[in-house]
Amino acid sequence: MLKSKTFLKKTRAGGVMKIVREHYLRDDIGCGAAGCTACGGAHEGPALEPQPQDPASSLCPQPHYLLPDTNVLLHQIDVLEDPAIRNVIVLQTVLQEVRNRSAPVYKRIRDVTNNQEKHFYTFTNEHHRETYVEQEQGENANDRNDRAIRVAAKWYNEHLKKMSADNQLQVIFITNDRKNKEKAVEEGIPAFTCEEYVKSLTANPELIDRLACLSEEGNEIESGKIIFSEHLPLSKLQQGIKSGTYLQGTFRASRENYLEATVWIHGDNEENKEIILQGLKHLNRAVHEDIVAVELLPKSQWVAPSSVVLHDEGQNEDDVEKEEEREQMLKTAVSEKMLKPTGRVVGIIKRNWRPYCGMLSKSDIKESRRHLFTPADKRIPRIRIETRQASTLEGRRIIVAIDGWPRNSRYPNGHFVKNLGDVGEKETETEVLLLEHDVPHQPFSQAVLSFLPKMPWSITEKDMKNREDLRHLCICSVDPPGCTDIDDALHCRELENGNLEVGVHIADVSHFIRPGNALDQESARRGTTVYLCEKRIDMVPELLSSNLCSLKCDVDRLAFSCIWEMNHSAEILKTKFTKSVINSKASLTYAEAQLRIDSANMRDDITTSLRGLNKLAKILKKKRIEKGALTLSSPEVRFHMDSETHDPIDLQTKELRETNSMVEEFMLLANISVAKKIHEEFSEHALLRKHPAPPPSNYEILVKAAKSRNLEIKTDTAKSLAESLDRAESPTFPYLNTLLRILATRCMMQAVYFCSGMDNDFHHYGLASPIYTHFTSPIRRYADVIVHRLLAVAIGADCTYPELTDKHKLADICKNLNYRHKMAQYAQRASVAFHTQLFFKSKGIVSEEAYILFVRKNAIVVLIPKYGLEGTVFFEEKDKPNPRLIYDDEIPSLKIEDTVFHVFDKVKVKIMLDSSNLQHQKIRMSLVEPQIPGISIPPDNISNMNLNGPEKKKMKFEK
Amino acid sequence: MASVALSEAEKVYIMHGVQEDLRVDGRGCEDYRCVEVETDVVSNTSGSARVKLGHTDILVGVKAEMGTPKLEKPNEGYLEFFVDCSANATPDFEGRGGDDLGTEIANTLYRIFSNKSSVDLKTLCISPREHCWVLYVDVLLLECDGNLFDAISIAVKAALFNTRIPRVRVLEDEEGSKDIELSDDPYDCIRLSVENVPCIVTLCKIGYRHVVDATLQEEACSLASLLVSVTSKGAVTCLRKVGKGSLDPESIFEMMETSKRVGKVLHASLQNILHKEESLGPKRQKVGFLG
Repeated sequence: MLKSKTFLKKTRAGGVMKIVREHYLRDDIGCGAAGCTACGGAHEGPALEPQPQDPASSLCPQPHYLLPDTNVLLHQIDVLEDPAIRNVIVLQTVLQEVRNRSAPVYKRIRDVTNNQEKHFYTFTNEHHRETYVEQEQGENANDRNDRAIRVAAKWYNEHLKKMSADNQLQVIFITNDRKNKEKAVEEGIPAFTCEEYVKSLTANPELIDRLACLSEEGNEIESGKIIFSEHLPLSKLQQGIKSGTYLQGTFRASRENYLEATVWIHGDNEENKEIILQGLKHLNRAVHEDIVAVELLPKSQWVAPSSVVLHDEGQNEDDVEKEEEREQMLKTAVSEKMLKPTGRVVGIIKRNWRPYCGMLSKSDIKESRRHLFTPADKRIPRIRIETRQASTLEGRRIIVAIDGWPRNSRYPNGHFVKNLGDVGEKETETEVLLLEHDVPHQPFSQAVLSFLPKMPWSITEKDMKNREDLRHLCICSVDPPGCTDIDDALHCRELENGNLEVGVHIADVSHFIRPGNALDQESARRGTTVYLCEKRIDMVPELLSSNLCSLKCDVDRLAFSCIWEMNHSAEILKTKFTKSVINSKASLTYAEAQLRIDSANMRDDITTSLRGLNKLAKILKKKRIEKGALTLSSPEVRFHMDSETHDPIDLQTKELRETNSMVEEFMLLANISVAKKIHEEFSEHALLRKHPAPPPSNYEILVKAAKSRNLEIKTDTAKSLAESLDRAESPTFPYLNTLLRILATRCMMQAVYFCSGMDNDFHHYGLASPIYTHFTSPIRRYADVIVHRLLAVAIGADCTYPELTDKHKLADICKNLNYRHKMAQYAQRASVAFHTQLFFKSKGIVSEEAYILFVRKNAIVVLIPKYGLEGTVFFEEKDKPNPRLIYDDEIPSLKIEDTVFHVFDKVKVKIMLDSSNLQHQKIRMSLVEPQIPGISIPPDNISNMNLNGPEKKKMKFEK
Repeated sequence: MASVALSEAEKVYIMHGVQEDLRVDGRGCEDYRCVEVETDVVSNTSGSARVKLGHTDILVGVKAEMGTPKLEKPNEGYLEFFVDCSANATPDFEGRGGDDLGTEIANTLYRIFSNKSSVDLKTLCISPREHCWVLYVDVLLLECDGNLFDAISIAVKAALFNTRIPRVRVLEDEEGSKDIELSDDPYDCIRLSVENVPCIVTLCKIGYRHVVDATLQEEACSLASLLVSVTSKGAVTCLRKVGKGSLDPESIFEMMETSKRVGKVLHASLQNILHKEESLGPKRQKVGFLG
């Protein structure tokens, strides 16, 4: 049967268009109940159980199916996802509405529907002859959808009765809309609110906590005092944005100060790109990552970003006066030019809430069911949740979702979602940091694994097509110890004409990962392998990463080779790219390779090859540095783990050998050669990597800091920066140079992937190369896989596919990769931080020498070179009288009582794990030297430990 | 104009019949042929109607679009007419063959609507000087069997009756910039009052008498005819003589009287049938082009 649907639409030009769509109604859509004879085999796939046994509800003891409406699905998805809830009918009307309103919830409900055990059934009621309803006069779209849902619920109940006379199966309509429920009951449909139903599930009391608390009545109990101004409706905001009264941007809360945030204004508007918001009222309930509309305040109310570090620690909920006091603290006299555009949030355009990991701060009042939840991410405000299991959840890492933020509430309201486990447990903490950094870490699905080659695997005739046999060459790999995913190998030999042939052989991952299949999609999604301290989250399944693609010694492996002919002064005469088969003769560690090069009596093929490589690498490095490549420094901690408990026993900073830089040099060379080649061949859709030059203002802090030590740092070009960093030596202070390099690293921009057709600045600032890409680690980076494919097409070794030459698709891939890389880096740092905590937990309290990296208004940030550990020393504590602090932004320096602190000053600090507050276990540092009465603490006699141990993980050239 | 070739004897036969108030198909001089009207036949228009008068077959679609009011009438919308003579109607219309006739009909339509009372153009105004509705009235000639003007005017009236214009609201913010908001209820729309929309009654002078609703054959016997546009109350809004013959003032007066009389009846029955059709509601089985 054919129906037509008519609706009106406003066109972009401002006109009104009438659109007519044909809509077909069918009579062969099944109800989804297994064993229903009326609709027989009309349906397939996951279906409802014929006799649902659970959950036992006191409200409706007989077997039943659930039929939720849109709002229930949107807000109570956490409940629906629980294994206890099964046999749910999801109507097409509901699904479509959910899809329009929230993409993440839509994805979650799709996942649930696909789970066979949940017995969720999607009923296409919009196309069913008997359940289709047309919008009636005087009815708006929402009313119509509500009616469609009721009609479907009614149809189901009648349909199930027909199934058999003695059947007691019922369909229960779940809605939180009172009017809708009344109407349903009138029409004879059993209907309950979500809360009623969940509370009736006597067997599963824990579900109640997961209910999103949306009931408006509940809020009345709270103090009636309105804290926040109202958010303007979306239509007003859009008008305001159009006319320029309001600005639209992404809300970014400050990590260091909960009363401060910045909003990044969207669009190309050069001025007012970043707006500062200060004070609770101006933040007006915006949460990190929300898209908000802000109004600029008059210039007289502009403020400067405060350098105060403030954490929300108040246990008392609505202590607004105290807040105001704190806000006053932020507003100190500052010079005119420091003032930045300041605004206030007038409305929220789009919430970007997600479930947050964190811990429960149990309420002081016994038997209270309301508790505050402190998220792990400091940028997220604390969330008030209601739970009866507070005592069990205490000390656990839990996940909580925000439901709403009423105007009269200091904190947003939320509900409990999941218990991850005990705090401090390695598994729990790892899970937390993976979740918090959005790292996909589930095991690979069956669909993905199905695209792996069948074992035992061997190279066939077909594989040899378009491939050169390089098995006779003396190739070897050099990697950190314990590395299982070897993606590069090298060789060097002398040619008859006296020149040298150098080859870089990279694992041919694109041979195994074919474009478009599930394996490809999953690796594209993951984007990168994430290395945590004791765990590796692979981008590709282990069979590939540690076996078939890993260029292990003495086995035939497929490779993508880049072979140069060079003269002895490392000038490239010829470059050749080819797919190949290699047989690595040795897998060496950096130390082993170094040993071979250094020992004069070894003269075998591998060693001569290594020596040749080493000699060329030194020349290449010199050339590169002459061109202005930067050598920067960042303190990195390596843990030495106990082999059984996997607890960190010791840590050390990375040791650099000649061989590290040898491998690095050739990888850089290969990346640059490949970048040139693919850009030559695909000027519009080459995937490249660029590192933009930082704006001069970024260097301010570095220049100021150096000046305080009477050193001059030139920052006009990379070369002058590199040279002035080299010159910046102090005979009395050898570590100064490293500190300057660490500071310089902080001034840098993030290197990013991009599609050559979408940009015209290709320059890589750090490497001083006009063009650069990633080619050498396809096992752990997806960008390299794409580059492999491009190169393979360029040399005619593989065929192309449409997405490869679509620059918008490529730009999307780049966007995801950049995001994943950033998140992977954060996750790595978080993992290091956690292991540092574990380390200091076992070690107790230590005193160490440290250098000041930054000076803040009420604190100093110090670096402890020995552990590569950075921490903040606060000078204001809650229960102590505040010391006299004078902060000078120009030098920058901080004067406490009579002692002045400058950047790079040497201090002595006490490091300890602060577990007094289980919410936030943290490394606490306090000043030991110089001694300031009342501030510093007397030095303890703590012996320093001996640190040594092999480095554990492979991490290199993330340039 | 479409025409048929008639022999002298046939013409004489027709003329003698008219003289006796008995026409070839059995009608009297003031009788219309059976009129079939159906509205809402084209779903993607704002209003549409199809009218069949004998074998004359007309389809009219009204499309409401947003535009800016004319300078001289800042707080009114306006109507635009376009007549398409399909080559389906007669092979003469092929190529640009129908253009002259089309323009002629469109001009006639402009004339009969160019007065304040026909349609309340003020209801079409959204915001003075800035936005108004423009109703594009597209007429499609599907088949010609005489009396085109009458059939077209009936179809236009029916289509205007059927027209539903989406209700829009003008939102104004502090700066005075205006934004248009569309109601999300498709039933929330403006209807036009067609009370005073005139219909054309064409009177053909055959011999000493005149007939209404002439067939193609009868038109061939007539040298001059008079187009009178009459409202439902009998008011004449426009008068136009077509054909190469002449009319004496006395017969013009006589013809106007006839047209008023016939026009009132025509309006009444049209109004009646339109309301009847509408009362059937959306469940009505549409006949469309397959019936």
